[in-house]
Amino acid sequence: MSPHARKWTRIGFAGPGAVVVALVTMAGMSLWLPRGSAGIDNLVLPLVLVPLIWAALFFHACLDARLARVVGVALALFAIHAGIVAHKFMDRPAMASEAHR
Amino acid sequence: MIHLPKEETKLMVAVHGWSGVLLGLVLYAVVITGMAAVFAEEIGAWSAGHVETQSAFARPFDRSVRELAARTPNEFRDDVDLFEIGDHNLGVFFHRHEVAPSGELINRGVYYQLDRQGRVANELRGTGEEVFGPRNDDALSSFLVDTHVRLHVPDPWGLLLTGVMGLAMLVAAISGLLVHRHLFKDIFTLRRRANPVLADRDRHSVAGTWSLPFAFLLAFTGSFFSFFGTIGVPIVAMAAFGGDQQAFSDTVFGQPGKPNPTPQPIGNLDRIAADAIGRTDGAPTFMTIEHFGRADAAVTTFHESKPGDIEPMTLVYHGGTATFDREKPSIGSKPSTGGTLAAIMAPLHFGNFAGVLSKAVWFGLGFAICYVTLTGIRLWLARRRERQRSLDWLERSVTVIGFGLPLALLAAAAGFLVTMPLGSAVFWTPASFLAACAVAILAGAVVPRQEELQRGLQIAIGALLALLPLIRLASGGPGWPATIASGQLAIMAVDIATLAGGAWTLWRLSAQGRERTAKDSAALQPTE
Repeated sequence: MSPHARKWTRIGFAGPGAVVVALVTMAGMSLWLPRGSAGIDNLVLPLVLVPLIWAALFFHACLDARLARVVGVALALFAIHAGIVAHKFMDRPAMASEAHR
Repeated sequence: MIHLPKEETKLMVAVHGWSGVLLGLVLYAVVITGMAAVFAEEIGAWSAGHVETQSAFARPFDRSVRELAARTPNEFRDDVDLFEIGDHNLGVFFHRHEVAPSGELINRGVYYQLDRQGRVANELRGTGEEVFGPRNDDALSSFLVDTHVRLHVPDPWGLLLTGVMGLAMLVAAISGLLVHRHLFKDIFTLRRRANPVLADRDRHSVAGTWSLPFAFLLAFTGSFFSFFGTIGVPIVAMAAFGGDQQAFSDTVFGQPGKPNPTPQPIGNLDRIAADAIGRTDGAPTFMTIEHFGRADAAVTTFHESKPGDIEPMTLVYHGGTATFDREKPSIGSKPSTGGTLAAIMAPLHFGNFAGVLSKAVWFGLGFAICYVTLTGIRLWLARRRERQRSLDWLERSVTVIGFGLPLALLAAAAGFLVTMPLGSAVFWTPASFLAACAVAILAGAVVPRQEELQRGLQIAIGALLALLPLIRLASGGPGWPATIASGQLAIMAVDIATLAGGAWTLWRLSAQGRERTAKDSAALQPTE
């Protein structure tokens, strides 16, 4: 990859990439985090942590010398959490029709 | 100490500089109004001459609420919010919950503003957003808070904008930490006799490093508040509840229990308030009644935190019988990690967990962040001054905003003090702010020398600060003997603070003037 392309890939993952991955991670976290004693930890913790998740992704994209690792971490986080959310949505109609039977 | 490789350090310096330069001036506006908003309650009492010290919840209000319930249409009697307005009077909002076409949760109902005797002084109907606008007697504190929270940009864009400012501050704080090669040495290094750029760099570095944990905390909690309702709740509700924000709200904030819609009059609210005051040693700051007029009515009272604690206190009562049910966390029905973390966000952001002392510390550190923001931009400009004359406009903008903004806030206070007795403060407070902004911008365009512009704006700030107590007294505000007699010391404290601030600013300018004259004459003597 040319230095120019590397630079813009890094900017992409530090800028809009970090925002998108942080928001998708927040959505996905609400589905796998433990609910806690009050049954709300999975809903509240992602909201509290999202600025820090964004900051971690931003600084990782800026500082990690290995661009492949920047891309890998961000895409893995995105894929895992987007997958969890998509699974929940695909599961919902099935659960609803199960309930109707 | 943090040792980044040279290239990464260069990158962090660039990130630190550009995040400050691109967003620094807007961030400065958010921080300076936030710094003033720390004392919004005291500024509200000072500006409106509020001398009452007894909470509205410490006086009988049960009868007033029953009378209001009788005149409120049934459709708005689902829930009731009670809170203090003006000079410790009561505001009562009878409402129902609705979901707007956008999916957003809203409250719609009738909002009564009561006077000291519990009579209806004003009645407004509509959604929460429509009825909770500024009033004549709180126009100044509302203006300060609204500028800080959303920069007067309509929702959700204003909140998103201030949220982005929070993230920019987070970036500046973390990158500022990472670029320090000798953190502990840097926080004690002030070379006063070095060249001006180096001395400025030292001052920026020292103020920035000492306020760094605080900047991080404010940026984190501030961006949490800005993004919570605008982006966070809709996305989490979409993932967890298929987009049902009401279900999210019921799970996180609701009272668990079996619904019982059997009609039952509400219990004695005065008894509940007295019991809550007895249990917490403080009057409620807010009270809500869920399922008003039903057997499953629940009354929740919200209180400031106990001494030595950060998390605010919340008590729940059985509405129908007015008996104590339990103490609960602010968020969630039982103590939990998420609930505690979310509940301490507000006291950590507002600095109100240890009374005036913590507020004063938050104010001081807010001032340090304003200083760091402005000096940071100036340093960035100083490094480029030799190469790029075209950045003169930015340097001038920094002066106009850096000194023009506090001047405009003081002008808004003066405008409020003059027009509140006339009943037109809601219009004239922002109008005075805008007029002063226009004057500062005009001065920035016409005053030829940068130093003269800066000095002129500073003189105006010092003079207005010193004049504010006189304007307050001249427009009919209570004098010091009356405030001492009523025990409302906030008025006197703000008077002293503005007088001291004005005197210090003018004294500093006069000292700088004398220093400059001495230097000029010393430079002239060899020539002669």
